[in-house]
Amino acid sequence: MEHTLSTATWFWLIVPMCTVAILSLLGFLFSLLKGDNS
Amino acid sequence: MISMSIPTLVTFIAYLLGMLVIGLIFYRLTNNLSDYVLGGRQLGGGVAALSAGASDMSGWLLLGLPGAMYAAGMNQVWIAVGLCIGAYLNWQFVAKRLRVYTEIAEDSITVPDYLENRFRDHSKVLRVVSAVVILLFFAFYTSSGMVAGATLFQKSFGLDYTTALWIGSIVIVSYTFMGGFMAVCWTDFFQGLLMFLALILVPIVVVNAEGGWSQAVNQVGNIDPTKLDIFHDMTVFGIISLMAWGLGYFGQPHIVVRFMAVKSSKEIAKARAVGMTWMVLALYGAIFTGFAGIVYFADNPLQNPETVFITLSQVLFNPWVAGVLLAAILSAIMSTIDSQLLVSSSALTEDFYKALLRKNASETELVWVGRSTVAGIALIAVFMAYNPDSTVLGLVAYAWGGFGAAFGPVIILSLFWQRMTRNGALVGMILGAVTVVFWKQLDGGVFDMYEILPGFIICTIAVIVVSLLDKEPQPEIQDEFAEMERAL
Repeated sequence: MEHTLSTATWFWLIVPMCTVAILSLLGFLFSLLKGDNS
Repeated sequence: MISMSIPTLVTFIAYLLGMLVIGLIFYRLTNNLSDYVLGGRQLGGGVAALSAGASDMSGWLLLGLPGAMYAAGMNQVWIAVGLCIGAYLNWQFVAKRLRVYTEIAEDSITVPDYLENRFRDHSKVLRVVSAVVILLFFAFYTSSGMVAGATLFQKSFGLDYTTALWIGSIVIVSYTFMGGFMAVCWTDFFQGLLMFLALILVPIVVVNAEGGWSQAVNQVGNIDPTKLDIFHDMTVFGIISLMAWGLGYFGQPHIVVRFMAVKSSKEIAKARAVGMTWMVLALYGAIFTGFAGIVYFADNPLQNPETVFITLSQVLFNPWVAGVLLAAILSAIMSTIDSQLLVSSSALTEDFYKALLRKNASETELVWVGRSTVAGIALIAVFMAYNPDSTVLGLVAYAWGGFGAAFGPVIILSLFWQRMTRNGALVGMILGAVTVVFWKQLDGGVFDMYEILPGFIICTIAVIVVSLLDKEPQPEIQDEFAEMERAL
C-alpha cells in the first residue's frame, strides 16, 4: 500500500503558515504601491 | 560522538572570529546609551526582521523541533503553526504602533521605560516591577541557553563541558560588550542567514537522498503510519494549547525591542515580509529535516532525537559544509543569548542605574555601565550554568509564558486603548505572571492547558476592569495617545 499525507494534514501543514507569509508579502507590495517605502 | 576534522574546525573558528569582528566594528560607532541598547533607532527593515527571527528562535529551531518531528511525526507541527500566526499578528498590529509610540513617549528605549512614560508613572513602580521581571527571567533564560550550547558541544566533540561553556560565553560577551545592540543585531542577521541556509539545504539533500518526497512519505508510512497524521493523539484542547505558544510573542522584550529600533515606521512592512518569509521557510526546513530523519535513521535509530540535524549534517555533507552547518546550530543559540543579555543590561542601566541612582549620569558613563552589566550578568549566567542539572534552571520553563502573559496584553492594550491606566497595567502584569506560575503547578483537565492562555486572558480582563474602575487618564496622556494615532 502506497502511503500519502491526508488532505487534512496537507491543509494544516500548508495553509496557515503560507497564508501569513503571503499576507506579509502582499502588505509589503501595497506599502510599495502607496510609496511608503521610499 | 562526532569527529572534529580540520576543515570543520577551521570553518567553525572563522565563524566565531567573524562575530568578534562585527563587535569591534560597532564598538567604534557607539557613543551613547541609546546607541548601545537600541542602536540609535537606525536599524534597517531587513536586519530588524532577521535579528528578531534569530533571537526569537533559539536552539529549539535546529534541535528541538526537528527532534520532535523525528520522534513523533506530523502532530508536532501545531506549535509551528501557532508561532507563525503569533509572530505575524505581532508584526501586523504591535510593531508600527510601538515604534511610533515609544518615540513620542519621551523617546523610550526599553519596555519598562515605555510603560513608565506612557502612563506618566512618577512613582516608578511600573518601571521597577517590569525591570525586575525581565532581569529575573532573562538571567535563567540566558543561563539555560549557555547550558544548551555547552552540552551540545560536549556531546558532539567530546569537549569538556566547562571549557565549552567558557569559550561560547567569552565570544558572546565580547561582541555584545563591545558593540551593543547594533553588533547583536548584525551578528543575529548573519546568524539568521546561516540558520536559514542550513534549514533549506539539509532537508533538500536528505529527501533527495531518499529518492524524493513521495518516496520519503511512503517510507515513513511503512515505518509508522501514525507519523503521517497531523491529528494523531491530538484533542482540540491539545491543539489549542500548542498553538497558544504564539501568544508569547506580544510580550517578549528581546523581540519587541527590535520594533522600537527600526529606523522608520515605514520600514515595518518590509521587515514583516522579510521576517515572516524567513520564519515560515525556516520552520518548514526544521519540520522536513526531522521528518526525513525518520527514514534516514530507520535501521539505526538515534538515541537522542534532538541530534537529528547535527547527525545528518555530519553524515551527508563534506567537512567544510558540515562546519558551516554546525555554526548554524551555535548561531541559533548565540543569537538568543546575546539579545537577552543586552535587554537585561538595558534594564539594569536605564531602569535602575539611570532612573533611580544617577539621573544626571553622562552618556559615556551609561555606555560603560551598560557594558559592565553585560559582563556581570553573563558571569552570573555562566556560574548558574556550571551545574546543568541545577533545579533553578527549571525556572526557564516559566519565561516564555510568563513574559507573554505579563507583558503581552499590557503592551497590546497600551497601544490600542486610550482609556487604559497605570493601575490597570500594574494589576494586569502581576496577575498575568502569577496565573502562569500557579497554573503550571496544577495538573489534570483544564490545568493541562499551556499556562500562557489563562494568564493572557486573566491579564487582559484585569487590565480592562481595573482601568475602567480607575480614574480617567490625565488629558496629557490622552493627547499623547491621539498624537501617536495621528502619526501612524
